[in-house]
Amino acid sequence: MKKPNLAVDFCGVRFPNPFVLAAAPPTDDAEMIARGFEAGWAGAVVKTLGLEHVEVNLVSPMMVGLDYEDKKLVALQNIDLISDRDIREVLPEVRELKKSYPDRIVIVSIMASTEAEWKEITRRVQEAGADMIECSFSCPHGMPERGMGSAVGQNAELTYERAKWVAEAAEIPVLIKLTPNVTDMRPVAEKVKEAGAEGVTAINTVKGLIGFDLDTMAPIPSVEGYSTEGGISGPAIKPIALRFVADVARDVGIPVAGVGGVVTWKDAVEFLLAGAGIVEVCTAVMRYGYDIIEELNEGLLLYLEDKGLTSPMDLVGKGLPKIVGHGELSRDSKVLAAVDEDTCIGCGACVIACRDGGHQAIEFAGPDAGEDARIPKVDDEKCIGCGFCRTVCPVDGCLTMQPRDEKVTA
Amino acid sequence: MPENTKAAVLSEDGRTYAPHEAVIEASRCLMCEDPPCNTGCPASVDVRRFIRKIRFGNFRGAVRLIREANIMVGVCGRVCPQEMLCMEHCTRAQLDTPIDIAGLQRFAGDVELAGLAPVPEPAARRDARVAVIGAGPAGLGAAAELAKAGVGVTIFEKANAPGGVLTHGIPPFRLDPSFATDEFSYVERLGVKTKYGVSADPATLLADGFDAVFVGIGLGKPYTIGLDGENLTGVHIAGELLARVAAGETPSLGTDVVVIGGGNVAMDAAMTALRLGAANVHLCSLESHEEMPAFRSEIEEVQSEGVVFHPRTMPVRILGENGNVSGYEGIGIRWKTPGVLVPANAEQIPGTEFGLKADSVIEAIGTGVLDRFDGVETDQRGVIKVDEDTMQTSMDRVFAGGDIANGGATAVLAYGEGKRAAGAIIAMLDRESGKGGGA
Repeated sequence: MKKPNLAVDFCGVRFPNPFVLAAAPPTDDAEMIARGFEAGWAGAVVKTLGLEHVEVNLVSPMMVGLDYEDKKLVALQNIDLISDRDIREVLPEVRELKKSYPDRIVIVSIMASTEAEWKEITRRVQEAGADMIECSFSCPHGMPERGMGSAVGQNAELTYERAKWVAEAAEIPVLIKLTPNVTDMRPVAEKVKEAGAEGVTAINTVKGLIGFDLDTMAPIPSVEGYSTEGGISGPAIKPIALRFVADVARDVGIPVAGVGGVVTWKDAVEFLLAGAGIVEVCTAVMRYGYDIIEELNEGLLLYLEDKGLTSPMDLVGKGLPKIVGHGELSRDSKVLAAVDEDTCIGCGACVIACRDGGHQAIEFAGPDAGEDARIPKVDDEKCIGCGFCRTVCPVDGCLTMQPRDEKVTA
Repeated sequence: MPENTKAAVLSEDGRTYAPHEAVIEASRCLMCEDPPCNTGCPASVDVRRFIRKIRFGNFRGAVRLIREANIMVGVCGRVCPQEMLCMEHCTRAQLDTPIDIAGLQRFAGDVELAGLAPVPEPAARRDARVAVIGAGPAGLGAAAELAKAGVGVTIFEKANAPGGVLTHGIPPFRLDPSFATDEFSYVERLGVKTKYGVSADPATLLADGFDAVFVGIGLGKPYTIGLDGENLTGVHIAGELLARVAAGETPSLGTDVVVIGGGNVAMDAAMTALRLGAANVHLCSLESHEEMPAFRSEIEEVQSEGVVFHPRTMPVRILGENGNVSGYEGIGIRWKTPGVLVPANAEQIPGTEFGLKADSVIEAIGTGVLDRFDGVETDQRGVIKVDEDTMQTSMDRVFAGGDIANGGATAVLAYGEGKRAAGAIIAMLDRESGKGGGA
């Protein structure tokens, strides 16, 4: 069999693999990006640049994580802004990067205000040798107050207008990065397509308020006792990102750069299945370092081999046809919870879950069962097959959902 | 080799979890339905609930919950053989390793030491007065339970400080003696009166007007072997040696030390010898490795510290020079009747004699009953006979628990027996005052 090749074509650009560093601190200067390229990243979206006259006044601290029990950084909130570096300094770096890494893809993220500014910055980025442009219409904090960022991405007309300015000025492919802080991204993505941009990047951060300091009772991150709503990223937002990627890929039919909560190759495969043509990563890189590309590439390659596929492009959108409306789902078959008594350790997590979160259909066999007293028994009459018990079972494959007709009762 | 200083000998081994580490460990808990861990605790601590409290960031609630069942939160977090109790039943062990319940309890105790948790409120007073003889774990269990029910309690303790075996029988590197003292202060805050340096007797106390007496005096009389050479300088009785170390002394044992015995006290003595500067410690026991009564965790710890074991051997004599110990002679044995692990059942195997260089020999072969009370029935050893459900002795209104009633076991079992006796005493008082449904 032909060995898989990780290279992908996206918006007419050849990427050595589908993994790209998202516009964020890891791409704020050429030295960092070069380290990313050395580690194996196919491309990088240079952190969003504005024109030199745009004042970028950062606050500190600007990031705070959300922990859940033993897990650090289930989500990250940032109130960072676009790059505070001078575009006149960064663009020569872009030129040098392309010289040193001709096979890697340098995308430059830009943000501007007026038509003249959008067109000027587009021209200058292009002249610096960038392979693609990504326009941020999506930053949920700081910029909207100035009529930029997600203030644009939440408005289909503003999006159309600006996307058109950039698409007109650009000879290289243009991606428009959209905000998930909308009820439906499709009308906006339609406008991106109509404006002539080549693709959409989805999603930017989800607007949120990550928490409070219980001692001071003030929101965090605390900037001299005050804070503001910010952009949430990290594993917690993956389901939200997958939903928007799938919506746009299926219903708008425009190439999508998928981003939001990717940590492992499995996450990446899911983005491809949802219709993403490339996958951008940020928070996981910030936490674990550029080296995680090794697991993304290797994991994806082995998965393709296992599935007998030769290219990640074979996966793009492959999961979409099976996403249907709720009303279209079958009501014909029912499943029932089934416990594998050989591997069951008798913790009773399913008993509690069904009793207090379900339909009181699972109980321990009880003292009469002797050694098997702690083996849960499912009452098939009461079980509605909701599947919640399966989500709490700590043993892989022990609690499964089986078709009612085929369930083997002990 | 630890530095042979008082600080090195006296400081506790190990360290407690930092708060986030405790949450990580607690998050491993499967939070079982009808949790098996709970059935393993002689003091009836609700393990699942206190772990849930830690997991969800309610640390002070965790201490309060444990304290309700067992005031010795920190002590039991350190000395309980939990791998034989709650942890033995942990369902998680079937997946990988059991939850470190001991460590989490130790953490909970430390939270309170930081002064965060409130003092419990004593219940409404009753007229009844109960005397507790002995301020060890059994006495604490009985006193705390009685005081919470509003009973007036006075503890009579022969020594000048509380804690019993916890303060004089456990090496400080295992349990900082101040812990027992700190936790004991809780019964005082519950209103329990204490009298130290006082020998008491159940019959006299009843005659003085106490409504009931609980006896929890422990054992206290270490056995000796009766060997040739036992009077040489350098021969120690483990219990006495451990008590001196617990009191802050750092006696010199020399370079080569032989410990005789296979129980927990022998293990503690061996580890104490290492910490006092001994280079070579040999442990000679009648029992084989598998037969030794010491906790597995202690045996493994002692082995990992480099103590050389001589299982299934018995002592022949202690050798001396100029009145000081100079060596030890032992011989291999087999059991005449398998499974009967007593010296009388040991048969020497000719040709298996061995000699060891020794500067000190520590005897740790068990402890017997020191004090007996007229009118309270005992077995031949002097262990008080009790009804297992009520801990009632043969003498009316007199109850007993702990080592003096079970022959010698764990602190937590003693505590649990104290609690059980208190329950029976309260039921008796209720019956007599017409409460409890007129039974």
